[in-house]
Amino acid sequence: MTAIKKFPLAALALVMMFTAADAAAQCRTFTKKRCLPQLEEYVQNDNYNTAVLIPGDEAELELTFFGDRAYRLLVCGHPVLGDLTFQVLDSRGNGIYDSSDKESDHFDFRVANTQQMTIRVQVPETEAVIQHEGCVSIMVGSKG
Amino acid sequence: MKLNNARPTLLLRLAKWSALPLCLLFTGCGEAPDAASNGADATTEVTMDAEGMMPARRQKAFKKIFHAVPSPIETAMLLERSGIQFDAEALHTLENAVGYSTTELQSVNLGIYAGDLSYSVIFNQNQQSVEYLNTCRRLCDGLGVGDIINADLISRADNNRDVRDSLVDIVTDTFYELNGRFRENGMEEVSGLMAAGGWIEGVYLGTRSLNSSTADLKLRIAEQKMTLDNLIGLLGSYAPTPALTNMKEALRPVEAAFAGVTITENPAVSTAAVDGTVVISGGPEVNYDEATLTAISESIAVVRNQYAQ
Repeated sequence: MTAIKKFPLAALALVMMFTAADAAAQCRTFTKKRCLPQLEEYVQNDNYNTAVLIPGDEAELELTFFGDRAYRLLVCGHPVLGDLTFQVLDSRGNGIYDSSDKESDHFDFRVANTQQMTIRVQVPETEAVIQHEGCVSIMVGSKG
Repeated sequence: MKLNNARPTLLLRLAKWSALPLCLLFTGCGEAPDAASNGADATTEVTMDAEGMMPARRQKAFKKIFHAVPSPIETAMLLERSGIQFDAEALHTLENAVGYSTTELQSVNLGIYAGDLSYSVIFNQNQQSVEYLNTCRRLCDGLGVGDIINADLISRADNNRDVRDSLVDIVTDTFYELNGRFRENGMEEVSGLMAAGGWIEGVYLGTRSLNSSTADLKLRIAEQKMTLDNLIGLLGSYAPTPALTNMKEALRPVEAAFAGVTITENPAVSTAAVDGTVVISGGPEVNYDEATLTAISESIAVVRNQYAQ
């Protein structure tokens, strides 16, 4: 194959490679633009808990929360995924908070004693013919 | 005839050229699907729009498990609130940063220096904070992410050196960017080692003066058993590499020391405070003795100095 024939294939491969990297970078941009500002009053935990999810997916984060400190837990997802729901569970798996009956994407709370908790997030199922995927971030900020 | 032969050859070459980028597409954002995610389907639509969404590239749902540890800034804040005194002698030597030539040492020491940077920021050690940020920049250069801690950022930190909240924002935003970049570039190993280095340095700094420590600080140190559990989960969530295995091995004596801390699980209870804030009380009861704290202090110093030579 001549160099001129190879060129389109190489170009296609490069375009696809950059598109994949670009998609990941856009997820980071989405989080930075749409989610981080909601933690403005808090010191954000610098962990990068972001994933590309589809309807029906779940995500889970286990983290230690320190006593006598206030937290904002933010579950931030692309609107195309619908209303995400999340629960906060204690170390024994007992429910502490459920967002299902609330219209908020965050949960503000104070922890009296240091403890490990699990945050469980659900992306709602959809009947749509063409499903979309979108970025979902679980973010934690703390203060005081 | 020639035409019939030419088409499969062209397709084969197309497939060959496309294999790597397709692999990258399926692992975008560093998100390797968990066990239930088999059967992901490719579509020709691959462009995620600027808003962070695109047509789904798979159809079967899966469960994504995240592991996280407290950031070095959070740990430094805990130490400060627990009454610890700033100890410049305990910090890692700035000059050593030039000697770290492997990705393993650069990653762990980036975490260690991030711990020192956070400690300096929280204790208003302004000049020192900028120097540690510069040292982090040197290691980031070596790891190929030098553009994140660039001259502009250093200048911004220098200009805000007297405003602690601004420095805290600069540090947390910078390390969030770094973690994001490591994940999206498939450098989870670096991200994990950096998190480990940051955690190790936080516990190291918190245990340098145990004899004069407040009861609150001692409790905070003992509670780190829970964050060590988070850290081990984080390191174990990545594909094993020699560097990650080394770190897990290095942390075994620390785990053994923390075994002396007993945590009795109790149910957590959430109640609404007068101001409307939800307060979560109950939860685990943490018990420890002085010998356990000494063992933690000694074991963490060994692993810290093993990497920070």
